Amino acid sequence: MKSPRSHFHPPSGLRPWRAVLFALLVTGGVGHAQSPVAPVIPGLHGKHPLNEAQRGALLIGELRCAACHDGMSADHMKEAPDLRGAGSRLTPGFMARFIADPFAVHPGTTMPDVLGAETPEKRREAAASIAAYLSSRKVGPAPEPPEGEVDAYDGKELFHQIGCVACHSPRNEAVREVIGEGVIPLTHLPGKYRPGALAEFLHAPLEVRPSGRMPDMKLGKMEAASLAAYLEGESSAVPDRAATEAARIEAGRSAFQKYNCTACHQAEEEPLPVSSPGPARGKLDLSRGCLSDAPGATPDFHLDASQKRAIRMALEAPMEDAAPAEQVKMHLTRMNCIACHVRDDFGGVAQKLDSYFRSSEEALGNESRIPPPLTLVGAKLRPEWMNAVLYDGRVVRPYMKTRMPQFGEAALAGLTELLAEVDHLDPVELPEPDRESRPMMRNGAHLLLGDKGLNCIACHNYNGKESPGMKGLDLMTSYQRLQPAWFYNYMLDPGAFRPGILMPGYWPNGKAVQTEILDGDTDLQLRALWHNFSLGRSARDPSGLRSEPSVLVVTDAPRTYRGRSSVAGYRGIAVGFPGGWNYAFNAQNGALSAIWKGEFIRVGWQGQGSGNFNPIGKPVQLAQDVAFLPLPDATGAWPLRPRTSKEQPVNPDPLYPRKHGYAFLGYSLDEDSVPTFRYRCGPVEIEDRSVTAGTGEGMSLRRAFRFSAPAQTTVMFRALAGSIESESPTVFRTDAVRITIAPGKTRLRPAADGKQELLIELPLPKGESTFTLDYELLR
Amino acid sequence: MHAAWCLGAALAALMTGSPLAEEVGDRWGTADRERAYWPIVEVPIPKDLVIEAGAFATLPDGRIAVGTRHGDIIFISGVDEARPRPDYHLFATGLDEIFGLAWKDGALYVTQSCELTRVTDTNGDGRADRFEVVSDAWGYGNYHEYAFGSKFDPEGNLYVALGLSSSYHSRELFRGWAFKVTPDGRSIPIASGMRSPGGIGFNEHGALFYIESQGPWNSACSLKFVKEGGFMGHPISYNWYKYAPNMGPAPAEPESRSRVLTEAERIPELVPYAVIFPYIRMGRSITGFVIDRTGGKFGPFENQMILGDYTQSLLLRATTEQVNGVWQGACYPFREGLSTGILNIHFTPGGKLLCGGTNRGWPVRGLKAYALERLEWTGRMPFEIERISITPNGFRVNFTKAVAETEGGDPASYVVTTFTHHYHGAYGGPEVDQTTPAVTSVDLAADGMSATLVLDTITRGHVHEFDLGALRSRDGGELLHRHAYYTVNEVPAAEGAN
Repeated sequence: MKSPRSHFHPPSGLRPWRAVLFALLVTGGVGHAQSPVAPVIPGLHGKHPLNEAQRGALLIGELRCAACHDGMSADHMKEAPDLRGAGSRLTPGFMARFIADPFAVHPGTTMPDVLGAETPEKRREAAASIAAYLSSRKVGPAPEPPEGEVDAYDGKELFHQIGCVACHSPRNEAVREVIGEGVIPLTHLPGKYRPGALAEFLHAPLEVRPSGRMPDMKLGKMEAASLAAYLEGESSAVPDRAATEAARIEAGRSAFQKYNCTACHQAEEEPLPVSSPGPARGKLDLSRGCLSDAPGATPDFHLDASQKRAIRMALEAPMEDAAPAEQVKMHLTRMNCIACHVRDDFGGVAQKLDSYFRSSEEALGNESRIPPPLTLVGAKLRPEWMNAVLYDGRVVRPYMKTRMPQFGEAALAGLTELLAEVDHLDPVELPEPDRESRPMMRNGAHLLLGDKGLNCIACHNYNGKESPGMKGLDLMTSYQRLQPAWFYNYMLDPGAFRPGILMPGYWPNGKAVQTEILDGDTDLQLRALWHNFSLGRSARDPSGLRSEPSVLVVTDAPRTYRGRSSVAGYRGIAVGFPGGWNYAFNAQNGALSAIWKGEFIRVGWQGQGSGNFNPIGKPVQLAQDVAFLPLPDATGAWPLRPRTSKEQPVNPDPLYPRKHGYAFLGYSLDEDSVPTFRYRCGPVEIEDRSVTAGTGEGMSLRRAFRFSAPAQTTVMFRALAGSIESESPTVFRTDAVRITIAPGKTRLRPAADGKQELLIELPLPKGESTFTLDYELLR
Repeated sequence: MHAAWCLGAALAALMTGSPLAEEVGDRWGTADRERAYWPIVEVPIPKDLVIEAGAFATLPDGRIAVGTRHGDIIFISGVDEARPRPDYHLFATGLDEIFGLAWKDGALYVTQSCELTRVTDTNGDGRADRFEVVSDAWGYGNYHEYAFGSKFDPEGNLYVALGLSSSYHSRELFRGWAFKVTPDGRSIPIASGMRSPGGIGFNEHGALFYIESQGPWNSACSLKFVKEGGFMGHPISYNWYKYAPNMGPAPAEPESRSRVLTEAERIPELVPYAVIFPYIRMGRSITGFVIDRTGGKFGPFENQMILGDYTQSLLLRATTEQVNGVWQGACYPFREGLSTGILNIHFTPGGKLLCGGTNRGWPVRGLKAYALERLEWTGRMPFEIERISITPNGFRVNFTKAVAETEGGDPASYVVTTFTHHYHGAYGGPEVDQTTPAVTSVDLAADGMSATLVLDTITRGHVHEFDLGALRSRDGGELLHRHAYYTVNEVPAAEGAN
């Protein structure tokens, strides 16, 4: 894992046992390593809305009290990490250290010290045995490293941009955590995971921690590896070896049960029994056990006085179902939604974290970088959209660097329904316009959105197309996301819903600013917009949002592109060379049909366009009829390609040019990407390859034919058509093009259109032969 | 290419340069519940790539080739990963609207608008360098003349379905026909009468089928058996019979405003719709289809057909059976809520369903200009109608979970209505000739997994629409989708009767 751009230089060659020391060092001066802190539930350290008893109830769930005590609510209780694959993820050394002294190794952990009653020696012994046992719990092989270069610098960027800092401290250039309180320190990570395992965990954290407290941040494999590289430094490369003696493992397994680790952790497919549950809720002495100052043999959570007080208060209060609004508050605090989102008077990005919330469209203001408020969100979003955001990872703000985490369905079950129940706006009907008024409404919306109306598209993308100005949220998503009442009220007064938003109100006090469109009628205008958004993709693009046909550019190698074109027919092929020469080949009839200089082609990929091309430079049009005939077929008038017209739309000669012996066989690209076309003229196979020759003004297109004839034969090549002058026996020109041919038997004859055609008779020997000609452009 | 693409209104709109706005129909409203069984996972596409997927094929090394409307062939790897961040490798570019990809003997067979092409990388540098015409036996003179290619059949034949000119006419050779392209390179016209195919391939029994779009002579989208020598229903392409001596003379002209089975009795070449998709309720422009052969990885619908829909950005399901030598079957809602118009779908080596397409040019519900999305089964068993098949005096309905006896044993829980369409030259058409047969008895199997219904009448030529919303599973659940639609062409004879 090299990190060429890394600003991060951990001590190299650290021996594993020193990882702890390193962990202590990187915490810097914030102090929690020296004096272990109480368990950290990040949501309780921000601007949360919970009262003391609710705080206690939340702690009860996060500390898993119900795992040992009957009569406590297990709703939304945090799950402990799944240890069935512990051996393939965690190093034995870390596990031993952590179990022996959880608070020193991972300050803020919610895992209790369960060895409090043991002597120091016994503690070490039990912890080492449990570590040996857990190391034997392996699932699957070591993870495959991703392909490509893992870059700790990318990891650093991700860590500070995507939202990790909502629960973990940002780090300074010296890789020290800069916030010491209310965050889950990550200083224990070097040395904790086996190689590759932290990346694997970050890639899919819900696999081993299904409760989503560490949510899925939608990291790709490479992203996860880069983030892991940043978080671990280079110190965890050589994991220590686990004790593998069966007796040791068995001793660990016994200890794992004896100390009741089984109450929280599953380490085997068939869960081991819980050995000594604590007293039921009604029989608790709230000054003793886990809540006492000296827990002794009971688990020691290292609770601080305030936490104990809150838990006692929760336990003293009667058990009852919280009101929906209170449940919402619990949810948002438990999952720390409030680190990023405001709701009512609680939550929101803390001042010290504000600078970590970034956007690629910062000109759009805070809306572009701060996750949206959740005030009234149950009345704002359609429930199915909220579920899509929560569970499918759907997003509409690609410019926001902070990612909406995926917490998993287990963690958020019921939240959408609760929000719908709690949040309320008076219903607003935005009925579908009737059939007669639809055209008027659509036209009205079209005008309002465009640059002649309210110019909404100056700040919003529209229907998958980028705004010519700021690339704000795509307006066309409104209908699928929003409830009508919220849309209506928000449009009347955006600032009331999002204080400080850049978006002006276009209907202040219910009065339309734009008075000409739809008679300046507020209701009509808003209904028209809503109706327009309901049309989705088929809505017309507003004025000002025009996309140009795609330009295909030739850079360092020739480019070949197939598509219909007026200069090459439906089976057309455009070929562009570096240096600005281009030609088109009509593969239907086997004719080099146009040549132009300058830029290559424009391609119709808008609307229904199926990739038709047009030369960008002005083309010299050449004949598009079949160009080679077996000699006997060439004695009469040259057979011209069939034409259709409005009056005669059906192809009058559908077997042309097949009946004249032509068949297109395909093409190949050589090492330089130059195409060679292959086709037949009767029994003769023709290879047709053109390249540019010469330089500057003297540049030309050199076309070389290679014939393969099964027997001696003669073919006729129609080299040029139009008003032709002969400059010499081998040089011919029209007013647009001059061709120079190899010496041969030529015939300049009148053509059906009153102009001329140049025919070249080519006697071909059995086997292979060649013929070349050059094209110069005269304009 | 499909119904909505071909509306006169859309054509008129084309001339003015902007498609007329058009509603795409109501949602089923089941997306939120469907998520629990088949979540949709976005397959991210790099910013500099446009992937309007028109065709897929799995390569021998497990990568998936995607052919696009822009004419690129892109190899993607890692599609099956839990959180896909695939590698995209440009294999070939500059082709013309790809709607067919199949792999054979070291080459990709690419159906593009202009021809069927064998594309190979001869020097092993990972980029295609040889493009050989396998067949261009058809005319091409209108942008709407799309060509759809199948995979190979066991004999090594590949089939191409050719859309009409401007979706109404047949102005170039063999527009509206299907071709068989044999391993020795012959192109044989095998069927006429197609209108606007959206996909061609094989059903779960290996027979050749294609998807037809609503329009003239097609009052709804349908799945049709491509019978060699057959006439698929739209007579505008009769003018090319003289170029297809193997097909004999053109069939008799169908009479407009008739019924398809009435005409099929008069015109032996006419192949009736095997599965009709009631318009709007079951898609509006159905496109690519695949058979679930994932061995259960994708859920309980092994050996059934999954189909994409362009306009409504959703997926449907179908089953077929042959009765008295005629193909027929049923369709079922499956999954809505995809992000773009679905042009084609494909099962990955991991048994997940890759869906792709675009939403440009025609009305589409999904808002993304193009997208790749993946459906995977969570392993939870939904309560669904597994399939409906016909019996001599009714239907057998199979379920994915046991049905509770209380409702399941009650004929009133099985609401059956029927309708048919006009078979006529006008665009689309209403549902007509409605009937309401009585369900006279129901026999719920002891395991609750199937119910055998006896009806007082079964009407040939009619879609039999089932609403089983009253049923409950034994664990109390409602059906994920309560509707199914069985198209009856034939009724099997009772055993022993002859």
